[in-house]
Amino acid sequence: MHKLYSNKKVIFTLMAPGLFVFAAAILAPILLSVYYGFTDYSGIGKSSFIGLDNYKTLFQDSVFWTALRNSLFLAIGFICIQHPLAMLTAIKLDKLQGKAEGLFRCIFFIPNVISVAVIAYLWKFIYNPNFGLVTKVLKNLGFTGQLNLLGSGNAIWSVLIVLIWHGFGWGMLIYYTGVKNIDPVMYEAASIDGANGRDIFFHITLPLMKPVIQVNVTMAVIAALKQMETVYLLTAGGPGNETQFMASYLYKQAFQSYKYGYGNSISVMFIVICLISTVALNRIFAERGE
Amino acid sequence: MDKSAIATIRNNPGRVLTITVMTIIAGIQMFPLIWLIDFSLCNSNELFTNGILVWPKKIQWVNYVLAFTNGNFFHYLKNSLLINTLAVVLVLIISIMAAFACSRMEWKLKHAASILMVMGMMIPVHATLLPNYVIYDKLGITDTIWALLIPYVAFSLPQGFFLTTSFMSSIPKELEEAALIDGCGIYRILAIIIFPLMKSSIVTVSIMTYLNNWNEFMLAITYLSSKKWKTLPFAILEFTGQYSSNYAVQFAVMALSAAPALIIYIILNKHITKGVALGAVKG
Amino acid sequence: MKKRQIGMLLCAAAAAITLAGCGSGKTKTEDTKAGQESSKETGKESSQAAAGGDVVIKVFSNLPDRTSGQGLIEQTLFDQYMEKNPNVKIQVEALDDESYKTKFKAYASGSDMPDLVNAWGQPSFLDEVIDAGLLAELNPADYNDYGFIQGALDGFSKDGKLYGLARNTDVMAFYYNKSMFEKYGVKVPETYDDLLAAVNTFKAAGVIPVSMDGSDKWPLSIYINALYQQYNGSTSSKEIREAVKTGDYSNEAWTKSLDQLKKSIDAGIFQTGFETTDYATSMNLFTNGQAAMYYMGSWEMSMATNENIPEEIRNNIGVFNMPAVEGGKGTKTDLTAWNGGGHAVTANSKVKAEAIKLLNYMYQPENWSKLCWEKGVCMSAQNFSQYLTGKETALQLEFVDKVNNATSISGVTFNDLGTNQFKTVSEDASVEFAIGQLTAKDFTDKLAGAMKK
Repeated sequence: MHKLYSNKKVIFTLMAPGLFVFAAAILAPILLSVYYGFTDYSGIGKSSFIGLDNYKTLFQDSVFWTALRNSLFLAIGFICIQHPLAMLTAIKLDKLQGKAEGLFRCIFFIPNVISVAVIAYLWKFIYNPNFGLVTKVLKNLGFTGQLNLLGSGNAIWSVLIVLIWHGFGWGMLIYYTGVKNIDPVMYEAASIDGANGRDIFFHITLPLMKPVIQVNVTMAVIAALKQMETVYLLTAGGPGNETQFMASYLYKQAFQSYKYGYGNSISVMFIVICLISTVALNRIFAERGE
Repeated sequence: MDKSAIATIRNNPGRVLTITVMTIIAGIQMFPLIWLIDFSLCNSNELFTNGILVWPKKIQWVNYVLAFTNGNFFHYLKNSLLINTLAVVLVLIISIMAAFACSRMEWKLKHAASILMVMGMMIPVHATLLPNYVIYDKLGITDTIWALLIPYVAFSLPQGFFLTTSFMSSIPKELEEAALIDGCGIYRILAIIIFPLMKSSIVTVSIMTYLNNWNEFMLAITYLSSKKWKTLPFAILEFTGQYSSNYAVQFAVMALSAAPALIIYIILNKHITKGVALGAVKG
Repeated sequence: MKKRQIGMLLCAAAAAITLAGCGSGKTKTEDTKAGQESSKETGKESSQAAAGGDVVIKVFSNLPDRTSGQGLIEQTLFDQYMEKNPNVKIQVEALDDESYKTKFKAYASGSDMPDLVNAWGQPSFLDEVIDAGLLAELNPADYNDYGFIQGALDGFSKDGKLYGLARNTDVMAFYYNKSMFEKYGVKVPETYDDLLAAVNTFKAAGVIPVSMDGSDKWPLSIYINALYQQYNGSTSSKEIREAVKTGDYSNEAWTKSLDQLKKSIDAGIFQTGFETTDYATSMNLFTNGQAAMYYMGSWEMSMATNENIPEEIRNNIGVFNMPAVEGGKGTKTDLTAWNGGGHAVTANSKVKAEAIKLLNYMYQPENWSKLCWEKGVCMSAQNFSQYLTGKETALQLEFVDKVNNATSISGVTFNDLGTNQFKTVSEDASVEFAIGQLTAKDFTDKLAGAMKK
């Protein structure tokens, strides 16, 4: 049997497509990106090698740091706002049973299924100070001013709200499956010992959900870093460059200014940051783990 | 004995409260969409009135008719279906093959190879947007189905591989051992024993891949130009350009574009939940 | 051993593809398409003119709406040309401005540019494109009889060579809703202070004074340019060019214009959230009667004939120039106008001669120039006085009047006078200044710094 399972030819055949796709569609463009990041290529015409100049500019580029800050805000927003809400909802949902449970679970996930283009466009409308939903609701409540929700200072929070709303279903679903995995026997045992609701939550539910929490938190941080399409459609990184995220910024530099080389250096930096974050998160969770 | 602390709550005030809260949350989740559908049935001018939800004076089905006929809605829908289905099939085949190699076969580099396969998850897609354009252009495949198919497969593969591997590890080895005694080769084992057992995982991977790629448009805009291969998101983008003053029609297009994914989701809802359970939690 | 083979496979794949990509940066003028033609699997017909066979001309347009406005006219002319030349097929790809610019760059970095493209006769767009040898040279003598207005083709020329033809005369002005003005007793502002008074009146009545497309940024830049002209007078065009080139913004007209803009915004001249209002929404605010005025260009004169706009509005649109400022040297005959949109043929086009023929056909005065005027869509960059039908909309006539009586025009505005990078910086700065993130000095510093790179 061992011989069969170590047959080199078979292994090669099985692995080749996957590795080939990886090399061709992921590794190759990254290598190319690294190359361009060292040039001043504008997207057309000639380019020349300029070494680390792009990276030097990058570190002094305030928009780059704004983008990182925005990702940080988003990650915190996910972890501190969306996840607790999602977890509580999941737990309550689990207890509901019956048709209601299935129905609600289905409804909560719906925004996730809708295209980002629709979501962004819709929310742009909702936020419109002149005839948007928010303004109308406020008017009906007696507030007559007009909130410029996508204006300077407010924009990033408005964007965060949309992103948190959009991802709520997904986070909730994952916590839900985590909760479902907890054996009800645990609860019975605990209540026999006289534990109340809060004790059960903190001493049984939460610890047993740890692997799920880890998965969710990791995904949240990565998602916060990778954010692009929603913000691009909602504010295009504006006003000014306040709501830029790394992916939308690199798109702007490469495709809207003639700064292809610089855009690629942002790209490379971006990948490096994603990799470091993933590894760091894995380390943190591994240490805390069983 | 106070049993109300246990999981099931039936017919008591706690349940009523919970349902109320859930309904509020459901409302928040759904409201923008309800708003969308409401105004897609109105005349564009009614948007500027003061109501939050407006009952249209005359239901403007014409908005939907326009959305259907004027855009290339069916053509784009067809393309989306084609590209996404192909992507799913490819991801499945490649994932299962690679997962088997990495979880069952014995070779020195299997751990390293696994890491490579999963690495894609950490790479942001948009970082490859520009260089891929150059590469595809050189290969002459921009504006073809390959320009989308390759990145879609490539970026859904890590996730697919991950889910498939973790599921496969839970399949007991005894079945394979029995097959081996009967004289099966590796490929037959894969096809006859492993594959049928992977049903849940296959459903999960299919759904995840679909969700990843169905609504994707950044790559589509950059790599595609002619009508031939454009996907569904283009319908929205083109309409908002063309009917810029008629918001109601734009809303109708958005509602129509959201419909296919929504319908499929509602039908397959149970599977998705099960899939997420197996995938994300077992990881 | 197995791992060596896998490793080699990976390296080979990555290397081959990377090398393929690396090479693209240098060789722009060469075209090695022979091998690629056979591997293409799209429905692209061969774009090589076989002997006596079909010719396919690929057009890349920035006019996505083919059913009205300039898009309709462009399409009409294409259809007419195809009728007259049955062996020619014209394939059109049309995107909105922003997507167009992005895709254009993607095309420019690749090898498959369309044959006939929209082009803006501004340094920020053309300079780098021409330097990379992407556009075909045209013979200026061919166009002597086309009636191009004096200076219209300057924006499309570099080093004495012509690379494109101008299709629009664009004038930036305030559209206003005549019935709203009447209702609130507001007269067309003669001075800028009049305008500010009107702003107050409209605000008190709950009406948006001026609808501004801030999300596109360039309207704000043009507003600043227009104010500069009012402060500085008829020599502004030359001086602005100098300033952009040398980075010297010491002329006090800059500070005065910026301060005036700030004052206006603080007084509430634009709608709340103007900095994120996009093109369509800002126009809709005006055409739906929520804004009394709309700052935009003459290419929107087709509002007067657009059936989607309620009649009581589209029949009541008037237009006025940036009003004179106190102590300024400019008057209302100093126009903020330029020849922006146009077409060009790409240098590496396989059907270059055919594409140029199509281009020439389009720009024959009885085609583009006549049609776009007759349909009330826009003003061409050619003399169209012989096409005045007497059935023009009032709006059209007002624009013609302004152009004919102009004592000076701005030409391309400052944001488009530099490199593409300068455009991004100056336009971002315009918005950032407008929302109060920059001071006037920051603004000019940024602009000065942007050209030095």
